[in-house]
Amino acid sequence: MIEFDYSELTPSERALQGEVREFLDRELPHGSYHPALGFHADKDPEFSRKLGAQGYLGMSLPKQYGGHERSAVDRFVVTEELLRRGAPVGHHWVADRQSGPVIAKFGTEHQKQRFIPGIVRGELSFCIGMSEPDSGSDLASVATKATRDGDGWVLEGRKIWTTFAHLNDWAIVLCRSTPVAELTDKRQGLSQFIVDLKSPGLTATPIPFIDGTSDFCEVELDQVFVPDELVLGSIGQGWAQNTSELAYERGGPDRWLSSYTLLAELLRLHEQQPLPDRFADVLGEALANYWVLHSLSLSVARSIDSGGAPAVESSLVKEMGTRFEQDVVTAINGIVDEAPNMSDTSAFVRLLISATVTAPSFTIRGGTNEVLRSVAAKGLQPSGGKR
Amino acid sequence: MTAFAADDLVADTVDRLLLDLCSPDVVEHAEADGWAPELWNAFSESGFPWVSVPDTAGGSGGTLGDAAAILHGIGRYAAPVPVAETGMLAGWLLAGSGLEIPGGVATVATGLSLQGGHLVGDATVAWGARSERIVALVQDGAAWKVASVPTSALAIERGANLAGEPSDLVHFDVTSGGFDLAAAAEGVDADALLQRGALSRVILSAGAFRALTQITIDYTNERKQFGKTIAGFQAVQQFLVNTAQCSVRVNMAAERAVRALAAGEPGIAIAAAKVLTDAAVAEGTRAAHQAHGAMGVTREYPLHQLTRRLWAWRHEYGTASMWRRRLGTAAHQAGADHVFELITD
Repeated sequence: MIEFDYSELTPSERALQGEVREFLDRELPHGSYHPALGFHADKDPEFSRKLGAQGYLGMSLPKQYGGHERSAVDRFVVTEELLRRGAPVGHHWVADRQSGPVIAKFGTEHQKQRFIPGIVRGELSFCIGMSEPDSGSDLASVATKATRDGDGWVLEGRKIWTTFAHLNDWAIVLCRSTPVAELTDKRQGLSQFIVDLKSPGLTATPIPFIDGTSDFCEVELDQVFVPDELVLGSIGQGWAQNTSELAYERGGPDRWLSSYTLLAELLRLHEQQPLPDRFADVLGEALANYWVLHSLSLSVARSIDSGGAPAVESSLVKEMGTRFEQDVVTAINGIVDEAPNMSDTSAFVRLLISATVTAPSFTIRGGTNEVLRSVAAKGLQPSGGKR
Repeated sequence: MTAFAADDLVADTVDRLLLDLCSPDVVEHAEADGWAPELWNAFSESGFPWVSVPDTAGGSGGTLGDAAAILHGIGRYAAPVPVAETGMLAGWLLAGSGLEIPGGVATVATGLSLQGGHLVGDATVAWGARSERIVALVQDGAAWKVASVPTSALAIERGANLAGEPSDLVHFDVTSGGFDLAAAAEGVDADALLQRGALSRVILSAGAFRALTQITIDYTNERKQFGKTIAGFQAVQQFLVNTAQCSVRVNMAAERAVRALAAGEPGIAIAAAKVLTDAAVAEGTRAAHQAHGAMGVTREYPLHQLTRRLWAWRHEYGTASMWRRRLGTAAHQAGADHVFELITD
């Protein structure tokens, strides 16, 4: 049975929330930056370093490598505050959220010492090397090949949708290290490698995104050598490691806050003046949904902290949270008086255009909703007649 | 099952009672007969209808969370008993004003007025004809007062909500000696009653949604087509996921709203919960019915006992449109930089 235990922030978590708010009020006053739409945000290494110095990155990582060993709820509190302001989290986002924890869990002592301190400081940036041109939802079908060569591996293939691959430092790349023909299950024989994005033979080419940005890349790996010391975890265990990388992050606030800044800017336009009823209706509906999604996400984070495995719950939240993010954009498009014009530089119109054209990606990235529904449905089991 | 109550004893006891006494047949008969006497008597003997009403005032004691656990059970089993009316609403008004709590059903009427000491007006009253007392919150100058009227003194036209539960038109024209009148407790006004009534519908709906999800999962895991259970089809799984998501949202909203009210700081909680419930009713009943196919729209299969109640309750204690606009106004007042605090606080 699915369980979302009700939870509230403790006094110390409230205190953290207060500190983060104060810090961000100071660092990101309104008008000093372009608010982003969720984690599809600008890369600002300077801002990431400041967050690191403040102790807001690598929060769950081990102290011996510079981490803070704080809870999933603490991280939830910080993430919520960053995303609702549309903070420029692009530089550290993947490293902090995904690569750091996966290295802490599966990495060697050498890898932990080498990478985690830089991630915690907000310096090192990472990419996710999962999807390929012919391998999306069916991730076990990845074709990028890893071949044994001396004291390392040679990678050959293509990765795609690799955000900031042309600018970032490292990528964790999922490869096939044993051909499918030699296996009974194609989820076997996969391995993960920590790949230097400046390696000889690696080419990252931006793919122009629908909103005109060029952060997405295609990465070509042409005989890229990776030494043994950069194999992540065990050869052949890539599928299990990769699954754990995805599982619990699905229920976070990044899955329902992507269009929040658009709503906030709409509200800003109506400050000091009457709010038309149709705007109040849209705001009211959205507010109710944010209010409950906050509680659901908090419940998932709390469950992780108490040793739970809320994979089904996370999938349910991501599936409805991302649809809601789109609904907000649709609803706001339904009430604005003027057609958005590309020449308009106001924060609201800029966000409206960007949100409208990028909203379709909300329910695709990080696992399409169709696949998520299958994951979630596994948790919906008969009760034996109990209500 | 539900975490409303401080301990699970109340919820477990209610669940056992409902499992024993509130089969779909009992619900069906109550709709035809207008009453489920055995079920009400069992509730009454256990004191459940008066939970959250202080025992010093003649109630059963316990917290609002305990009362919510009971209402959630009533929602799960579509139980035709006026517990929300008797305790959480009428009992709350009576206890707050020091008036006597009747031993039988009590219910509430809104929109009445005091004219020269007479209580007048027409009101649609849930379980009106079944009640022993009808309790009204009326304005007397600037003050709010609680009027408690013996139902026997009233002219009543029977009606029912779309779930077939009594919803009667009651004509009030009662002279000053014909009812009890006392000052309402501090903070009790029409809006407080509206919020509390709305919360009762949210909790009942949360229970109904829990059961709706479960029977939809159960049915689709039994029903076979094309040689396999229909729960194995992706298209059907989508309905299961939608129904479960609606249930999860409404249940979380109900619990957060109960806690907010119990802490004396309802804020936007009840408005948000009512708006969410209304949207979930539209989405969740559609998904659950579609997953059931034609069986779900028959009277013999109990899905309708849940969905018809959800469709009925959405109309009670404020329309979604009213609550939505109220939330939008709260967002506007908070402003762009502070509206997020409404979400997290």
